Amino acid sequence: MSDVHPEMHERWILGTELLWAFGVGVFIAAALGMIVFTALTMSINPPSNVERIDPKVLHLSGEFAEHNLGTTVTADGGVTVRAIATQFMFVPACIAVPANRLVTLRFASPDVIHGLLITGTNVNTMVVPGFVAQVHTEFTRSGDLLMPCHEYCGLGHSEMWATVQVMANDEFKPGPDGRVSCAQR
Amino acid sequence: MQPEQPSAADSPSEVADEVDAAALARVMRLVPLGAAVLAGSTVALLVLGYLLIYVLVFIPRGSVG
Repeated sequence: MSDVHPEMHERWILGTELLWAFGVGVFIAAALGMIVFTALTMSINPPSNVERIDPKVLHLSGEFAEHNLGTTVTADGGVTVRAIATQFMFVPACIAVPANRLVTLRFASPDVIHGLLITGTNVNTMVVPGFVAQVHTEFTRSGDLLMPCHEYCGLGHSEMWATVQVMANDEFKPGPDGRVSCAQR
Repeated sequence: MQPEQPSAADSPSEVADEVDAAALARVMRLVPLGAAVLAGSTVALLVLGYLLIYVLVFIPRGSVG
C-alpha cells in the first residue's frame, strides 16, 4: 500500500467513511422498520395516552375514588384496572387480572412522579401527577408478578411495590358488581 | 554521537521522532483499516446484543400500548 498516491489514499479513506455511514444508515432503517412492523402487526407501542386529572381531588370522587379502585369487568367483557400510585404504596396492593385477555391498566398519582413496571411483561410507564397513565396489554402466563415503583419517589421508594395476580380464565370470576379481587393463597 | 557532546535528547522538547518518513507513511496507511476493523467489530457486537434482546426478550413479552 505504500506506493499508493496520497490523493488516492485520501479517496480510499473517504470511501471507508461513506461505507460506514451507509452501514449506520442501513441499521437505523432496519431498527425503525422493526419498530414500525411490530407496532402494526403485534400492537407493541409505547404507551401514549394523554389525559388530564386533578391530583388534588382525585381521591375524593370520580374514577380514582377508593371504592372504584381495583379490577372491574364491564358488561361487554372489557377488563379495566384502576390503581393509585402514592407515597409509598400502590392502592390496591394486589391487582387481579385474567390471562390471555386484553386488559386496560389506568394509574394516577396524587403526590409525586412515580413509575411502574410489571416483571416479565412489556408494561412500563411513568405515573405523573396531573395525568392518567394508561397501558393496554395481555398477560400470557398466569402467576404472581411483581410490580415495583421504578421512579425514585422519596425515602420509602424501595418499599413501594404491588403484586399483579394473573389468573386463568376459570379462576377469574367477577362478582355481581363486576369487580374482581386477588385470591387468597 | 560522542557521550561528552551535548545532545538534543537533553531537552525533551528537542527529541526527534526516530521513525523515518517512509515507515510513518506505511503505518499511517494501515491505521484507518485497523480503526475500521475495531469500530466495526465493536458496533457489530452492540447491534447483535440489541437484536438478541429485542427478538428473544422484548417480542415474546407480548403486546403493550
